[in-house]
Amino acid sequence: MGPGPPTDGDSSSREPAIRAYSTNETSNYHQIKFITMAIRAALLLVRATPLQFSFNPKQALVLKQNNRNYAVKSSLEPPDVQRLAETARISLAPHEVEEFAPKIQQVIDWFGQLQAVDLQNVAPAIRADNEEETLRDDSPEIFENRDAILAAVPCYEDSYIKVPKVLNKE
Amino acid sequence: MALTFFRGLHTHSFLMYPSSFLSRKNGMLYCTMKSIRGQTETQEKSQHQLKVSTQTQSRKHDDIFKNFEAIIGIETHVQLSTLTKAFCSCPYNYGAQPNTSICPVCMGLPGALPVLSTKVIESAVKVGLALNCNLSLSSKFDRKQYFYPDLPKGYQISQFDIPIATGGYLDVDIPLEFGGGHRKFGITRVHMEEDAGKLLHTGNGSFSQVDLNRAGVPLLEIVSEPDMRTGIEAAEYAAELQRLVRYLGVSNGNMQEGSLRCDVNISIRPIGQLEFGTKVEIKNLNSFSSVSRAIDFEISRQALLHSQGQADQIVQETRLWEEGAQKTVTMRKKEGLADYRYFPEPDLPGVTLTEEYVDGIRCSLPELPEMKRRRYEGMGLNMQDVLFLTNDINVADFFDSAIAEGADVKLAANWIMGDIAAYMKNEKLSINEIQLNSHELVELISSIKGGTISGKIGKEVYTFLILFIIPLSSAIEHTFICCVVSKLILHLIIA
Repeated sequence: MGPGPPTDGDSSSREPAIRAYSTNETSNYHQIKFITMAIRAALLLVRATPLQFSFNPKQALVLKQNNRNYAVKSSLEPPDVQRLAETARISLAPHEVEEFAPKIQQVIDWFGQLQAVDLQNVAPAIRADNEEETLRDDSPEIFENRDAILAAVPCYEDSYIKVPKVLNKE
Repeated sequence: MALTFFRGLHTHSFLMYPSSFLSRKNGMLYCTMKSIRGQTETQEKSQHQLKVSTQTQSRKHDDIFKNFEAIIGIETHVQLSTLTKAFCSCPYNYGAQPNTSICPVCMGLPGALPVLSTKVIESAVKVGLALNCNLSLSSKFDRKQYFYPDLPKGYQISQFDIPIATGGYLDVDIPLEFGGGHRKFGITRVHMEEDAGKLLHTGNGSFSQVDLNRAGVPLLEIVSEPDMRTGIEAAEYAAELQRLVRYLGVSNGNMQEGSLRCDVNISIRPIGQLEFGTKVEIKNLNSFSSVSRAIDFEISRQALLHSQGQADQIVQETRLWEEGAQKTVTMRKKEGLADYRYFPEPDLPGVTLTEEYVDGIRCSLPELPEMKRRRYEGMGLNMQDVLFLTNDINVADFFDSAIAEGADVKLAANWIMGDIAAYMKNEKLSINEIQLNSHELVELISSIKGGTISGKIGKEVYTFLILFIIPLSSAIEHTFICCVVSKLILHLIIA
């Protein structure tokens, strides 16, 4: 059998979830992450088609503010925040679920601007790539500081990492 | 001097599983309840009772089986025998002390980045070519995300929509005792991924233990088309894959060690029906014989339900094969499909292959088992000999060098399959480890053929050759001396 996830689907056998720290912190963190990803994607498009991508300088100022409605709505479904939180193992109070949904929607809409780009003459790329080869030889090297790694494990007993028993057995 | 110790039985010592457990009478269909292994005293009584009832049942089963065909596909995970893990330089040694082969990358510590090794790509291309696949010159890695204690990063680096190889096939020869014949099974895809760690469950239920030595070890996942129809075909497909990866030198393919793992997907449908039945997955198969038996059991289980009008009891689920009880049991019924939230792995560049690179590897491939079998058949050997000689690439190479020096094909085959194989089995040695090389075998054969020594003496000479590192002439001398001495002693006793 290959490495596989537990084949259960119900939420009763969940392992301990991470509590969201605070509303503001997480939404900022998410936004920053999405922004950097958007910039990466935008840069790729700019490199590929310098003529077709039209960048409106006015929009650049608008991007910095949170509470704008964007003209191009994303064609994705509205986020099912409850499900997203479950799959990410983040526990949210009901009021947080309600608060987060429109904020996440805003970020998705912000990305949605990319859909305005005309991709007629652009060949699809399977992923964003650099030019250099980044491969490694098959020569073993033992990591020097394994002790430090193991010392940082919360529960390490008899040379094994001790974990709570997950209900799904193999 | 009776050398019956070395006059071995003509053994199929290299076949992966003994044929004794299967009854030859029934041909294709086997009732697993007839062949119960691992008996204990308590089981023997019930076994006897079962035998009586199963004989009447097996006739009923055969009737039921006639109306259904099984559709079987196999997903195989092959652990590559590279020196390092897939994305970091940690060595991997089976059986090492737990949690000794770790580093920030394979432990999934924050900030660590994966770097792919060239050997993994090379192995994947070798296997893709050997399976006659179309290689994707541009492929990528994706994250397969789920949470489990043996998965340090919370995702597995795999290939989702653009695997490195697709659309191939594997040629398999079914051994004679299972009906013989040639089959061609389709291969859907081959892709690269990393292994998870090992999760051990302790006896008392409060906690489990994780060993991350294995986390990050490269795997090749080989998915077959659902072309198999019986347990035997599935077991032979798996055996052929094992032969193939051993021939290529990319893996040692040991099911017991976990370097070759098979999951079976099986469904049955009434003969003539076009649409597939409900698919059931079977895990925890540790040998080729379990593959065969589990499939037979599952076919009979599903056919029985169908015949009793309870076909809706067959649900899409994962079942475990229990070796002790010789049956499949339900694991947990799937509540909807798992959502792995695949997306392209941002920390790894795409995998680009050039035509020259692929051609270079294609040229370096050894003669594959299928080609060897056809070549040996062409030499006039019968199928049984062919299957034996091609099972282990080292045995085939030994045979080939003997033939190259001019030895008689049939004689060389007989020596290898008879005495030499028996010796290797007794001493638990591989053909590279015994004290007889192919050159000496050639000399021995030509001495016998040329009349220098008789066949009977030849056997005794062979014993000296295989036990001691001495040239053929000395071995012949020693044999004669021993012969003379033993005859003398005999004379003295009689006289």
